[in-house]
Amino acid sequence: MHILDIAQNALAARAPRVEVSIREDLAKDRMVIEVKDNGLGIPPEILPRVTDPFVTTRKTREVGLGLSLLRSAAERCGGSLQIQSKPGKGTEVVASFQLDHIDRPPLGDMGETMGVLISGNPEVDFCYHHEVDGQTYSLETQKMREILGTASLDHPAVLAFVRQDVREGLDRIGADRFPKIMEVLR
Amino acid sequence: MTLKELAERLGWELRTKNVPVDTDVKTGYSSDLLSDVLANSIEGDLWITRQAHLNIVAIAVMRDLSGILLANGVEPEPETIAKAAEKMVPIFQTPLPTFEVVGRLYQLGVSGKR
Repeated sequence: MHILDIAQNALAARAPRVEVSIREDLAKDRMVIEVKDNGLGIPPEILPRVTDPFVTTRKTREVGLGLSLLRSAAERCGGSLQIQSKPGKGTEVVASFQLDHIDRPPLGDMGETMGVLISGNPEVDFCYHHEVDGQTYSLETQKMREILGTASLDHPAVLAFVRQDVREGLDRIGADRFPKIMEVLR
Repeated sequence: MTLKELAERLGWELRTKNVPVDTDVKTGYSSDLLSDVLANSIEGDLWITRQAHLNIVAIAVMRDLSGILLANGVEPEPETIAKAAEKMVPIFQTPLPTFEVVGRLYQLGVSGKR
């Protein structure tokens, strides 16, 4: 859903490391998505207005919608959005949702999302962590790099591995199960 | 007019196989917010949307909608089609935007009356 968009903000801030962390708590009916980077950070004078659609750090386009859309999606689904940022240190975006909310968009194909991020930015360290009630799946490009040696992360075979590993991993832990309404389909 | 007749006249593509499309359609509803459709659609509505994930099938089943029309050429996910076929929910697709589709439906006598 919005994860690619937010991760791309991090990359635009020239972050050498981007961490995506998703936690699902079935008992609390909560999904929390965190995107953390160590990029340029957001200037403090812009930070309070960063979810205003008419505020953006980009010069090429006047309207930036990534964070605004994420905030409205979170709030529509019984959650909220928090952003912390320090210039020179990085930015942390935390969005929470009611897990079972009927309007919560599915995460989509996270394998594809990670594949796109890595293929476009093979020099960046990506870390993806997903937890469902204590069951976890992790992908760390830094570890992959150690195994690969000199081979680049944007090699087609590596990207195919990433896509498949993410899909299988999320399947194993039962990530992003559909809302309760889906019970009518069983 | 039946779903089949509407699809033929307006050039929609049927994406679900082996699902009956002889239902008579008198009313329709258009929205991309699932909670809104759940709250405001009525039985027999044809639902025009550009949401394509699996949850739309659940909504159609719960509200007894006559079918789903995906506007703007939106491509349904394979699991959406599979589940719709299993639950006998016809899914159609049109390249036209929602506004255009709804206008044409209205001209053919399908209303949004609640």
